[in-house]
Amino acid sequence: MTLWVLMAVLAGALVGLSRQVNGRLALSLSPLGASFWNHLVGFLALAAVAVLAGGLLVGVATTGRVLPPGLADAPAWAWAGGPIGVLFVAAGSWLIARIGAANTALLVIAGQMLSGAALDTLRGAEGLGWRALGVALILGGVGLARSGQR
Amino acid sequence: MINPLPRPVARLRPLPLLAAVGTGGLLTLMVLCNAEVGRHAGPLMASLVPHATGTLAAGVALAFLRPRRAGGPAPRWAYLGGLLGAVTVMLTSVTANTALALSGTLALGLLGQVAFAQAADRWGLLGLPRRPATARDVGVMALILGGSAVIILGAGA
Repeated sequence: MTLWVLMAVLAGALVGLSRQVNGRLALSLSPLGASFWNHLVGFLALAAVAVLAGGLLVGVATTGRVLPPGLADAPAWAWAGGPIGVLFVAAGSWLIARIGAANTALLVIAGQMLSGAALDTLRGAEGLGWRALGVALILGGVGLARSGQR
Repeated sequence: MINPLPRPVARLRPLPLLAAVGTGGLLTLMVLCNAEVGRHAGPLMASLVPHATGTLAAGVALAFLRPRRAGGPAPRWAYLGGLLGAVTVMLTSVTANTALALSGTLALGLLGQVAFAQAADRWGLLGLPRRPATARDVGVMALILGGSAVIILGAGA
């Protein structure tokens, strides 16, 4: 259990570290350029894993298909995750140099939680009371970030 | 973490604030899309496919927009941020299937992310500006993390 907790915390820290690294690259290139390299390097690493552990090439050789079974059934909108991710990484690299790592992390988390709560409510998910309380606290935090001197 | 010297607390300007909150909204959409890929083709594809389409999309956007090079050369390690994303995906796909489940993975991940960000601001890690936290920043952190914990853990209650 301790190992899993450490792994989950480490995963979060790596999200912060990668934003910091991409933010540094954006200082030299541009936020979009940093996002491009982030996706290219991530793709190459994951493709290597797919070949080594996932038997990607074996699958291609035996079935003659590049795309794994099931992927063709995914709806077209599911493919939008990549382009949205490009915007996400570029925005993070732009923000971190302007408002700092902590503000970027916290406000992005706030936006994620608020939009997720809205989506869950639209879908009629249970637990509306907890969600409303959480949303109120988060909005309070965002409002506090707007307070202070100009 | 609280800066011992009193100094004016600059409030965030509306544009970066709205951009940051909107970026979090993008993350919700991205997770939705990638999870749908994963439901059809497995967890590895849920990360490999968006990295492939993202590389293409960013390449096309760079070719059309041709953004101006912002500064001097970047250190080589700065090109390796993508490796961290790949490792993150592998870690969370393991922990989400343990007793921590998705909610525990999410909540602990937020903690790790904010703890790292505090350290990064305090010491100006990896060549970005130093930005010590103020008492106001600590309040913002408590409210946003507390609210997130209520939403994540309340959903499982």
